[in-house]
Amino acid sequence: MPVLIDMEKCGKIKDCPGEGLCIKVCEAGALIEEDGEIVLVPENCDDCDICIQSCPNEAITKKS
Amino acid sequence: MAEVNPTVEREGTQKRSLSYKKDKCTGCGICTDICPTEALKLGPLVPIARGLLDMDYVKVDKEKCALCGLCAASCPFEAMEFKIDDVSIKENEAYPKWEHKANIDEDKCVYCKACETACPTEAITVSRKLPERTKLVSGEIDINKDTCIYCGICEEMCPADAIKMNNENLEEPEIAVDEDKCVYCLICKRSCPVNAIKAACRSCSYGAYEINPEDSKITGNAFIDEETCINCGWCEEICPVDAVTVTKPFEGEITFKEDFECKAEACHVCVDICPCNAISIVDGKSVVDERFCILCGACAKACPKKGIVIKREKINLENVRSKSWQKQMNKLVEATSK
Repeated sequence: MPVLIDMEKCGKIKDCPGEGLCIKVCEAGALIEEDGEIVLVPENCDDCDICIQSCPNEAITKKS
Repeated sequence: MAEVNPTVEREGTQKRSLSYKKDKCTGCGICTDICPTEALKLGPLVPIARGLLDMDYVKVDKEKCALCGLCAASCPFEAMEFKIDDVSIKENEAYPKWEHKANIDEDKCVYCKACETACPTEAITVSRKLPERTKLVSGEIDINKDTCIYCGICEEMCPADAIKMNNENLEEPEIAVDEDKCVYCLICKRSCPVNAIKAACRSCSYGAYEINPEDSKITGNAFIDEETCINCGWCEEICPVDAVTVTKPFEGEITFKEDFECKAEACHVCVDICPCNAISIVDGKSVVDERFCILCGACAKACPKKGIVIKREKINLENVRSKSWQKQMNKLVEATSK
């Protein structure tokens, strides 16, 4: 099941303390940049959860 | 966005200071587990381990730190330096001492350098001196300059690069054997088309009996730098003559949770963070080689699925005199790392 991004917590990449860290840690290509924002590509998400623990804004979660 | 931990320092009846050694820290989180005032917090381990973030693994909260020194005493990597009146507690006999160590027995060492190559922290330096070749191989060699046609075959064939031939000047060609390099293998003699070379190997004629055993010894030095050694056991395992003994900081076992869904190649966080090169991805799952694991728990802390279980049974830390410290240290042993 792919991750969920809370866009309110996430904000623009330029304001992210990790400068879009989730994109950098995701090796599956499930998180990409579009117009300065993070966009999820659900079909690429392989459930590794690395983005969840790396996000400095705690904006990425999973439905439990 | 580099962040550097400042040295926490306070002066009362004693001057106490705590400084974080970034280059030694592995992100194992032992200090954050043991800190009684929650002054230490782990940063984002994965991006730091992968070099995506230039940050310290551990964040020290100056305001919360009580300068007790527990973190420094319990860090198996000596990544926290705690000083009282400018003297490190490592030098203070009242404080705990790690029993972990690695030692090379130079009486057994053959200076093969296998440990130097295997060491994940480049803590080992091996230098060796080989026996002098001229004392082991000797013989006679002579090239008859009248018979020689200066074809250069011997020069080309010589495995020791001992023959030099120059036929640029056809009137006065030159050929010479460097007897310091010659190993008397007789290849030149066999390859010469005009039979101009006479050579004999004395070692072949008289066998090894003439060789003084002292002359054939390999000597050297093997040195483990305690500052960088993490006592992972690679050197002990790889040594072909069992010359190395390693005492690890903890004894116990590392396992995986039964319901753990390891994402293996997609994640490989454990492989990235392990300071001991003890983890690899095999057949779609993380595999730990316990021979090299020191049970530091960095992998368990970093695993996004929290699927790795560290179970420490013994901590090789002696001289823990304070009861309250003993109680706190026991948390590292009893508690299964989350």
